Amino acid sequence: MFNLHERKQSKVFNRRTFFLLSVKLGIFSVIGWRFFDLQILNSKKYKTLSKKNQINVAIIYPVRGEIRDRNNIVIASNKKVYDLYIIPEQTNNLENTLNNLNDYIEISFKQKRKIINLSEKVKKFESIKIIEDLNWKDLEVIETNKIHLDGLHLEEDFQRIYPGNNAFSHILGYISQPDKKEVNLPYISKMPKLDIGKTGLEKYLNEDLIGIAGKKEIEVNSYGRVIREISLDPSQKGKNLQITIDSRLQKFTFDELQSHKAGSIVVLDINSGEILSMVSTPSFNPNLIIKKPNVEYWKSLLGNPLSPLTFRSVQGLYSPGSTFKMIVALAALKHKLVNPKTTTFCNGKIEYGDRLYHCWKTKGHGKMNLENAIKESCDVYFYELSKKIGINKMATVAYELGLGQAYDIGLENEKKGIIPSKKWKKENLNENWYAGETLNAAIGQGYSLSNPLQLAVMIARFASNGKKITPTLFKRNDEVIFGQIEYLSQFSNIIKDALFKAVNEQKGTAYKSKSNDYFFSGKTGTSQVKKITQAERESEEFRKKTIEWKNKDHALFVGYAPSKNPKYAISVIIEHGGSGASTAAPIVKRTFDYIMKLKI
Amino acid sequence: MNLLNLKKINLLFIFIIIILALIGTAALYSAGEAEFDLWAKKHIIRFFVFLIIIFLIASIDIKIFYKYAYFLFFMSLLLLLSVEIIGTLGKGAERWINIFGFSVQPSELIKINIILALAKFYNDLRFDRIGKIRNTFFPLLFIFVPTSLIALQPDLGTAVTIILLGLFIMFQSGVRIWKFFLAGIVTLFSFPFLWQSIKPYQQKRILSFLNPESDPLGQGYQLIQSKIALGSGALQGKGFLGGTQSYLQYLPEKQTDFIFTLIGEEFGFIGVSFILLLFFILILIAYFISIKSRHIFGRILAIGVATNLFLYVVLNTAMVSGLLPVVGIPLPLISYGGTAMLSIMISFGLLLNVEINANNTSLNK
Repeated sequence: MFNLHERKQSKVFNRRTFFLLSVKLGIFSVIGWRFFDLQILNSKKYKTLSKKNQINVAIIYPVRGEIRDRNNIVIASNKKVYDLYIIPEQTNNLENTLNNLNDYIEISFKQKRKIINLSEKVKKFESIKIIEDLNWKDLEVIETNKIHLDGLHLEEDFQRIYPGNNAFSHILGYISQPDKKEVNLPYISKMPKLDIGKTGLEKYLNEDLIGIAGKKEIEVNSYGRVIREISLDPSQKGKNLQITIDSRLQKFTFDELQSHKAGSIVVLDINSGEILSMVSTPSFNPNLIIKKPNVEYWKSLLGNPLSPLTFRSVQGLYSPGSTFKMIVALAALKHKLVNPKTTTFCNGKIEYGDRLYHCWKTKGHGKMNLENAIKESCDVYFYELSKKIGINKMATVAYELGLGQAYDIGLENEKKGIIPSKKWKKENLNENWYAGETLNAAIGQGYSLSNPLQLAVMIARFASNGKKITPTLFKRNDEVIFGQIEYLSQFSNIIKDALFKAVNEQKGTAYKSKSNDYFFSGKTGTSQVKKITQAERESEEFRKKTIEWKNKDHALFVGYAPSKNPKYAISVIIEHGGSGASTAAPIVKRTFDYIMKLKI
Repeated sequence: MNLLNLKKINLLFIFIIIILALIGTAALYSAGEAEFDLWAKKHIIRFFVFLIIIFLIASIDIKIFYKYAYFLFFMSLLLLLSVEIIGTLGKGAERWINIFGFSVQPSELIKINIILALAKFYNDLRFDRIGKIRNTFFPLLFIFVPTSLIALQPDLGTAVTIILLGLFIMFQSGVRIWKFFLAGIVTLFSFPFLWQSIKPYQQKRILSFLNPESDPLGQGYQLIQSKIALGSGALQGKGFLGGTQSYLQYLPEKQTDFIFTLIGEEFGFIGVSFILLLFFILILIAYFISIKSRHIFGRILAIGVATNLFLYVVLNTAMVSGLLPVVGIPLPLISYGGTAMLSIMISFGLLLNVEINANNTSLNK
């Protein structure tokens, strides 16, 4: 049955089977012998070793760096706090001690049970945290009654604190425990329990603020009890960093917004592009986010329809409204499509296509030249002008003046907004551009969207006669040299004269807010939220009726001061604030008053 | 599939693996600091689910495994390759792939398929042709293609295991002895090159194995702690749940690769020898099954399974006792971990299948 090969194979096979089995038995014996050697012959040695003390390495967490404003005033810092701990084995009776403690500081039954349960799980000599961040009164009570409170002790810790509360919260953000992804960040490896910045500059600057961990070698016995400290390599505090915000101005502008539901103010230093103030309301208090338990506070933030977590200055998008008219004017001057002296007649509306386009002044402005059209914000003039310019030329100028782009100032989710153009509409809506839409765009309505920071940059570029100023939150050491928008230096005096007159001459839209001590210039804007129907426009009822808050227009103002040699640029937006002239311009005036007083 | 075949199943084998799995459960209960839900529960549930898989595999006609041996090999090779690609894209050492919600480690599965493929190859090969170059070349391909993929992951421990497994099977199948000597010499001379090609952390592991004191807080420390735990366990051990946990705190993988240390500490030399004995009995049973089988496919398959088990046990125990560097190999049926258990249970299923089909001579030519 078997042929020669198979018989030979069988023979080889059997031989090798037995050989390999013997090899395996041999190796097993070696392993067995190894364990015999370890566990029987040398067991005495290892038993002694096992009773010997071990060296444990503990990580010392670094203290987070501080953040200061431009005048070195601390705006994010660390507060020394005291936590209360208990060591079960140092008490006569854990429950008694906790009951005694309850005489001085209230400890809920639930909390007590939790501590007692925990004490059964951990080793007797390990500390259990009872209370975090004791207040001074409790601290004192515990110190004076120490005799009745065996086994309790205090430990020092640091808690992040933001002295400015709600005023700085969007810029600074807050810190918290890292999530699963963040734990793997290289600069916090080995420090899994370290709080890190989660939003705002706290997040952006994590790497610098965190510092370097230290370590402590401790000798412990075989049960883990600490015998002594062997070596200490202290941690290094994170860097202290400075930002360009002036905290006085920040608080002032923040308070200015308090009489309104929602809005934003941005103030720039025109020479350096440094952001002096940037506030957004409603805001949140980072100190309440850090303090546990914070569940209720989170719920209230997330449940607020005005979304307090949104940083409107960079994340909020609004139609620029009439503030966009200076762009249109500049585009016309650049392409030599307007003679500043020629006039257009405004009778309150024009017809284009089969639609009527209204001026905000129903009666009409009468004869208007370029300067007056900016000063009095005549819509009809700009409707006519935009027909000559076309949307694409306006879009190019808008982009060069700083709209439609993000400045990456270190805050997440900075919105670019929209500068509409034929190409933009085709790419994003897949529709052709209608000629009538150019008219809407000319008064900053329609698709146009900008954030308050962009508007501040825009007015700063006008004010500086065309320097391509970019904003920053970090000090620029030397005199920065910005690029130059050539055509703007040529025409800026025409537009700046108009902006001056808008505030400082009768009939100017912001004339009521002018200052008697110094001059500032600017442009009001009112960005329409709800479309007004033809019927509403014509009914007298509508004019008198108070409009529901959410349907009111947004009030805008962009401006700079002083009018001669401008130093500060500002943009103010009050959501549903009504008109720019009545709501935003007075805020600008008061803010400039304050800046002049401060002499930043 | 014929469930009636199961009447012929090796009950002694089944009995021993149940005991081992129960020991594993107890050890994991201890490793979880007397918490059953942490690891122990999942371990024992997995075992009994996989036990059903053993019965299913054992009752399938062996001809099916023979017929699809190469196909299965290529499928698992593809799986391995896809992990490699996903891993490269994910920028990390990826060893896992997600299939229908299960995390599967293809490097574990490929071991079984290498055994199957080699068993089929030598079953089909006429013995007088075994000396031809191409008949050495193909088995080497079966071994080294997956190995190099696994080494790239990088998972040196598994790669070395597979090479050893393959060489054992080739030797068993009758490949000329001088070829093994030649391979040995080549390896020796290429050692400097190999040393350069492995990752720094792997070099560090080997160095710290040679001189544990050089890295007292890292890998070396782990070894010293493991040895102290084992040694202080002495003859009888410190008793169940009596292990001084402070040592084991330094063993980051006490529930997986270092579970044997915990057993050695708590049950002493008696416990250790008992477990080693049980494993050796399993290997002996596999050899009996191999000898009883009347076809080469079954014989090699059984010895492959035995060798696979042998390598797991020997490498793991040698590692924890400081005879070998820390390579990351679990102890079958006792260490926590799903894929390793699944793969070893599948291999047991195949082994019991060989015994049931010992007289199926239709595989012979």
